[in-house]
Amino acid sequence: MDLDLAWDLHPQVSVRPEPFGALLYHFGTRKLSFLKDRTLLTVVENLATSPSVRTACTAAGVGEAELPRYETALEALVRSSMLVERE
Amino acid sequence: MSASKPTASPASHADELVESESLVEEVSIDGMCGVY
Repeated sequence: MDLDLAWDLHPQVSVRPEPFGALLYHFGTRKLSFLKDRTLLTVVENLATSPSVRTACTAAGVGEAELPRYETALEALVRSSMLVERE
Repeated sequence: MSASKPTASPASHADELVESESLVEEVSIDGMCGVY
């Protein structure tokens, strides 16, 4: 995943915040993804208003040391079509 | 004499790796009865 590109939630994905993080449901693939971290939820929410994944992470308070961990999580969401690259 | 404290143990590093893999968990509800 290129952290300097902009990504968005797939338009068919619904997000439900939960105490443990969030539930993402994709109406097209019928897949559920559990975000087990509130910071990751903030990153995902920030994507829509951020010019890049990196700025979305920074705005959520993710430091450089933690960035690879969140990148891995976001890549999992890309593989399950929860996130799509902004055109 | 003072003992220097290690900054990170192998165990804590392993914990971080496990945590990074579990930030996202995926489930497919396709085929489940009574969901719709």
